[in-house]
Amino acid sequence: MDKIYTICPYCGCGCGLYLHTTGNRVTGVSPSRSHPVNRGTLCVKGWNSHEFINHPDRIAWPVRKTDRGLVRTSWEDALDITASKLSSIAGEYGPDSIGVLSSAKCSNEENYLMMKFARAVIGTNNVDHCARLCHSSTVGGLSGAFGSGAMTNSITEIDEARTLFVIGSNTTEQHPMIGMHMLKAVDRGATLIVADPRRTQIAEFAQIHLRHRSGTDVALLNSIMNVIILEGLVDIDFVKRRTENFGGLMNVVNYYTPPVGARITGVPAEAIKKAARIFATQQRSMLFYSMGITQHITGVDNVRSCANLIMLTGHIGQPYSGLNPLRGQNNVQGACDMGALPEFYSGYQKVSDPASRRKFRRAWGTKVPDKPGMALTDMIDAIGKGRIRALYIMGENPLMSDPDLTQVREAFRSLDFLVVQDIFISDTAGMADIVLPAASFAEKDGTYTNTERRVQKADRALRPYGEALPDWQIICRLANRMGYPMSYNGTYEIMEEIALLTPSYGGILHHRLDENSGLQWPCPDMNHTGTPYLHRKKFARGLGDFIPVEFLPPAEQVDDDYPMLLTTGRMYFHYHTGTMCRRTSTLEREEPECFVEINPSDGKRLCIRSGQPVNITSRRGGLEVKAMITEKTPEGTVFVPFHFREAAANILTNPACDPEVRIPEFKVCAVKVEPVAGKKTTRKPEEVDISKFWIERE
Amino acid sequence: MSDTFILDRNHLPYWLRQLRKERKLIGPMRKKSGDIVYEEVSNIHEIELNCPAILPPVKEFFFPATEAMLRFKKGNVNDNIMGTPAVIFGLRSCDVSALNLVDRFFGGDIKDRYYTKKRENTLLVSVGCNMPDPTCFCMSMGTGPFLHKGYDIQLTDLGDRYFVEARSGRAKNIMNKFRHLFGKPSKADYEDQYEAVHLSQTYFEKRINLEGARNAIVSGAVHDDFWRSVTARCFECGGCVYECPLCTCFNVIDRKYDGTVERARVWDTCMFKGFTRMTGGVLPNRDRIRRTKRWYYHKIVYGPEQIGTFGCVGCGRCTITCPGVIDMATVGMKLSKGVDNS
Repeated sequence: MDKIYTICPYCGCGCGLYLHTTGNRVTGVSPSRSHPVNRGTLCVKGWNSHEFINHPDRIAWPVRKTDRGLVRTSWEDALDITASKLSSIAGEYGPDSIGVLSSAKCSNEENYLMMKFARAVIGTNNVDHCARLCHSSTVGGLSGAFGSGAMTNSITEIDEARTLFVIGSNTTEQHPMIGMHMLKAVDRGATLIVADPRRTQIAEFAQIHLRHRSGTDVALLNSIMNVIILEGLVDIDFVKRRTENFGGLMNVVNYYTPPVGARITGVPAEAIKKAARIFATQQRSMLFYSMGITQHITGVDNVRSCANLIMLTGHIGQPYSGLNPLRGQNNVQGACDMGALPEFYSGYQKVSDPASRRKFRRAWGTKVPDKPGMALTDMIDAIGKGRIRALYIMGENPLMSDPDLTQVREAFRSLDFLVVQDIFISDTAGMADIVLPAASFAEKDGTYTNTERRVQKADRALRPYGEALPDWQIICRLANRMGYPMSYNGTYEIMEEIALLTPSYGGILHHRLDENSGLQWPCPDMNHTGTPYLHRKKFARGLGDFIPVEFLPPAEQVDDDYPMLLTTGRMYFHYHTGTMCRRTSTLEREEPECFVEINPSDGKRLCIRSGQPVNITSRRGGLEVKAMITEKTPEGTVFVPFHFREAAANILTNPACDPEVRIPEFKVCAVKVEPVAGKKTTRKPEEVDISKFWIERE
Repeated sequence: MSDTFILDRNHLPYWLRQLRKERKLIGPMRKKSGDIVYEEVSNIHEIELNCPAILPPVKEFFFPATEAMLRFKKGNVNDNIMGTPAVIFGLRSCDVSALNLVDRFFGGDIKDRYYTKKRENTLLVSVGCNMPDPTCFCMSMGTGPFLHKGYDIQLTDLGDRYFVEARSGRAKNIMNKFRHLFGKPSKADYEDQYEAVHLSQTYFEKRINLEGARNAIVSGAVHDDFWRSVTARCFECGGCVYECPLCTCFNVIDRKYDGTVERARVWDTCMFKGFTRMTGGVLPNRDRIRRTKRWYYHKIVYGPEQIGTFGCVGCGRCTITCPGVIDMATVGMKLSKGVDNS
């Protein structure tokens, strides 16, 4: 039995674990005791992260769509078709008619190559990934306020904090190992303030739980800042020395007195005052946020409000404090860092900046496009309008993860060409013209950047399944066929290119990552030992900028037709679109079906019992799920997890986006909930015909 | 009675190399990340004997987290019973004690051939703990730090030499082959060995009185409010069970690969509500408190009733791996000190 060190493929905690292998099979998993994040622990997904690797549903060969369904083909054939199709579409409609979706599940090297592929090979900046749907607000909001959009501090620092303010994050379930550090801090006497409409597990430990209405975060934060300013709790020295535009903030925040805040958010004024006083007066206050802040049409505003609060109280630029966005995917931080974004190259170097363009043009030896590309959500819109004709998707599943799925599916049908690179036939791969089999996390090496900016190296434990190849090799082969030579002897060579072109990764090379669980960027040179906390002495942009924001209500309000608020999210046992976790027996047995959480008083009013099937309908579609009556969800709000393809919550969600960063409002839309009467009326998702695919394999 | 020998420290690699000629050698090895794990030994000189408790316990070598049991294709059944001869070197007394108890589960009235075959073919060479970890409490459980019975070969580190005890029949047979390597212990060796045993006891930071905990539960002094406060901290990760050297629950799953069906067993956890899921979706233990309670009851109350011993060897692995700090040591301590039910 061999034990190979790797990084957990699920959330952004980036826990270190060992895969136990016998032959070419993984037989188990164990946590790393020396890893600074998990310290010998794992969550249930980590413990079971090995089972899907050898699942029989894995794609073993390239497949091609024919009239008979998806059939096996050779690599030569699949790559030739893909290369010629992409080339001809780029030739006919221009490179900007092709969209590229990179993956927050793939390594830094692969994300770098994917963005290089889009920019250097195809010649478009239309490259994006699922960060658009989770933390694009963070990148947008924090680069304005601080100049850098990432978690400012380290996870181990949480243990020593005195106040933890968690807003819009179900930490113990979604980032369990960060939740563990929070609990440790609470055990040591720290004060925990949680702002979340739902009564989550972490809220059970909170001294103050602010249950504000979904979508009223700006009002809540402005109101807290109002108290801090009125009661003279501002860190005046910090505001004077390190920030600008405090006056602008004052003018806006003045209006949001606690009674006004209470009226908008539904949180008692006294609770707002109390939270404000504790957060401002304690040294070592940390603020954490996640999807509850970002997934709104006011996502960027919400993030700016968090940044304002942090600057107002001076809780930044020192250890044990700071503003900490908790990133979702194992490498979503890395995918952003690598420039799988329409407006940035790696290291957030702007494509609109001629100097950056020149640098990349010289390094890559080819012309690069100068206009920022389309965001993921815009690409989907553009397909319908005929401006995007082909998509190349690596390890993403937009047909489950994007809002208003009915429309997305409609749009995908009108694509001229769709190529998907994945480990399973996901809903998206089921629609593809060509599916390229990729190696799973255990079957390749590479680096992953977790939420605390820690770049970590994972080793290869197995030979790839069937004929699958690591994503970076697939990209290289495709690029070579399209007339742009890409050859690397290994991922370490790609990392060298990244280090050369990316200032914040300048000193990060594979051989430096074997010890001490990696390096935290910025790490500009080979002697640098990494940066545990950011914005020391000055902000990345110089002075921190107070960007005042006014409260705006969500895009869709409740009315007589759709009287309930729907909020969507994840659950502990499943992960995103479920391609991996739902193929893991233990996880699937725990939560095999979708449900809707309904408050007992709503349940009574609507005559719904626990376990009863109900119809949920929004303006965009409907689905049938089982009701779960629970106090967790407040009155007037219902919660549906989005992991289940047979009852995809995103059929209901509103595609309205934040105007700046185009993040959709997953967290709020208006629905009606009714008990199912008589016949089933559910709209079933289109079946991916896997059976045909299997017959062909024989 | 055990046969006793003295082994010069410098002769240990030679002995291990000889053992490796006939068997797979597994031992504690340091990885690049700094962790120490049990794996097949590549370089004997790199074996790390001074190491904190190793995750996961050695039960995985006999009962892996995922084990393909059968493969069947068109009426042919292939039983996948493995049992390559192996020697596990450097495991601890608690591990040996735990395996002896697991033997009673897998080797009882119904013999689990997948487990017993591996167990029969594996020799255990344990090393007593001169310096127990802060998480250890084997002394309270009577399962360490040194064993008096139940082991194959036990080593006691005396600095420049090892005091070697061979207990089981197969161990004595193996020792006979290597007589030339081992010396006869002198009186001083016996004294030194006793001193190591005696001194190790002073290093325990934890004393856990599970008997007191059992009395508290049985006498009805522990109310559900206590279990509610414990459960509130549970992350439902299953780590306590996965890491417990005594927990043996598994689930059986079938997977179909191109016409071959593989029946595998995977580690399971009574902490999950799906553990007792019934057809039709009924969950008798949906209530998390009942599940937490069940695990502790099984270890503290039912263990003594059914097998005459606690379901815990005090290895401290749940202490390391529990993110909510509701491990056996913490909860056992609280229970034995008298529970405040308010």
